Amino acid sequence: MTFNTLSYFFFLPASYLAFYLTADRWRWLVLLLASYGFYACLKAPYLLAVLFAVTTISYCVGLKIAQVEPESLKRRWLFGGCLACIGTLAAVKCLPLLATRGGTSGTLISVGVSYFSFQAVSYLADIYLEIEEPERDFGRFALYLAFFPKLLQGPIERGGDLLPQLKKPYRFDYDTARSGLVLFGGGLFKKVVVADWLGLYADQVYNNVHDYTGVSLLVATYAYALQIYFDFSSYTDMARGTARLFGIELTENFNAPYRATSVAEFWRRWHISFSRWILDYIFKPLQLSWRHAGQLGSALALVVTFLISGLWHGVGWTFVIWGLLHGSYLAASNYYRPYQKRLYQWLGVARSPWLSWWKIFVTFHLVSFAWVFFRANTLSDALYVARNLFDLGGSLSAYLTLGSKPFYRDLVLMGVGENKTYLQLLCIALVLALKKAGQETRSQPALRWVYYLATALACLNFGIPNINKFIYMQF
Amino acid sequence: MTTAETLEQIFRMVFDDDSIEIRPDLTANDVDGWDSLSHVNLITTVEAKFGIRFTQKELLKQRNVGDLLTDIDRKLAEK
Repeated sequence: MTFNTLSYFFFLPASYLAFYLTADRWRWLVLLLASYGFYACLKAPYLLAVLFAVTTISYCVGLKIAQVEPESLKRRWLFGGCLACIGTLAAVKCLPLLATRGGTSGTLISVGVSYFSFQAVSYLADIYLEIEEPERDFGRFALYLAFFPKLLQGPIERGGDLLPQLKKPYRFDYDTARSGLVLFGGGLFKKVVVADWLGLYADQVYNNVHDYTGVSLLVATYAYALQIYFDFSSYTDMARGTARLFGIELTENFNAPYRATSVAEFWRRWHISFSRWILDYIFKPLQLSWRHAGQLGSALALVVTFLISGLWHGVGWTFVIWGLLHGSYLAASNYYRPYQKRLYQWLGVARSPWLSWWKIFVTFHLVSFAWVFFRANTLSDALYVARNLFDLGGSLSAYLTLGSKPFYRDLVLMGVGENKTYLQLLCIALVLALKKAGQETRSQPALRWVYYLATALACLNFGIPNINKFIYMQF
Repeated sequence: MTTAETLEQIFRMVFDDDSIEIRPDLTANDVDGWDSLSHVNLITTVEAKFGIRFTQKELLKQRNVGDLLTDIDRKLAEK
């Protein structure tokens, strides 16, 4: 069951009703049962066992870290706890690979395991660093790891942000509930009307890269860059909207990432909860350990951090190269940044408003180039795309020639030429134009209702059927 | 010269800004150019100037200049 399936539209109201009708002191139990029930719907009972195991380990180890002395023993408990959580994650992720290589089909899925394991690690590290106190209430701690809106795909919540909210009494507030539903509806629109539509084209091209060249590959790469953003941020919106119904505020995971003026800024705007996690628990410890190597130490720490991030996304060369590309972009920027500033001053463009647009353009293309490796099915596909992506001159004339196969094929894929698609684009423009008015409590009721109706009608009429998965669930 | 005065001099040198005045609640958000790279420069300069070495836990726990000052004073007292 995912947020964009019919069963969720029964599950959510039923859970909310049970939560609303229950006395405050038992509401955590309703949410915990709903969360385990939500996870059980994936029909993989071992996942429930993994969730319970990680919960029990991190709960006990958290108490132990706070209790034991001396420092060396605390550190041993921290490493032991983290190793158990990450080891469980690695086992769940690698077992299907081993099963496939052994000749049997890899049917195990690991949906959600990364996210609650990372949360458990951050919880243990924060106790060790004395940033947080250990949670003594096992039930609420279990809910902290299992809370269903963020269970499958994050955001990765810190103990200090979520645990106190799970203890607060719930009071119904019309404006909060309304804004939660509007956020959920906006997320659903982004997923079924925008992301899945872009995915039709990106998937077709990336699953058959050798049939395409130049412009088609470039358009598919742009389409994928937008698809992954809309797909992932839509999930976050729906997660945050759902949580808000229950009076819980989850972390905002995206802040207009493609408006970033540097790759470093992109990572402060993209998958924010994960970026904070790798920054705090991988990059900083590495960088501080290698601090006496100066700039080289920081550059190495960046490359290693993003290499690990790539390997987390998948054990394969495409993800390794994606991670190394981002690590290299960031490491290189440490060296060229001072010269870049001087160059802009020398050219007299340091204060030009066009400079920001130029930086946004360059950053978007650096990130999109890395997406080629992230999306391609194999390394040879990725290298083919990278080699042919810039063959624009040769392919453009063929692309624009009416009657050429790729031209029609691309247009049909996007639905261009059909009246329905023009109406869909009009609807997307209307929803985007009214987004602010639709989400604000104090805006004109008429504008708000036009936004609600446009969103609902678009989801019902233009949604791509039978796509129930979100890209980031596989990680 | 007190620890705070020496630390203020280090801040001015690392961030190339003679107007910086440190206070216990000062954080990276308050100083222009205080990013992860300049933080490493700051820490290595502090360690060299005071002849101390922080543990990784101490560095990861520090949230503001007040925490840094407390750790420097404790390290100096232990010497």
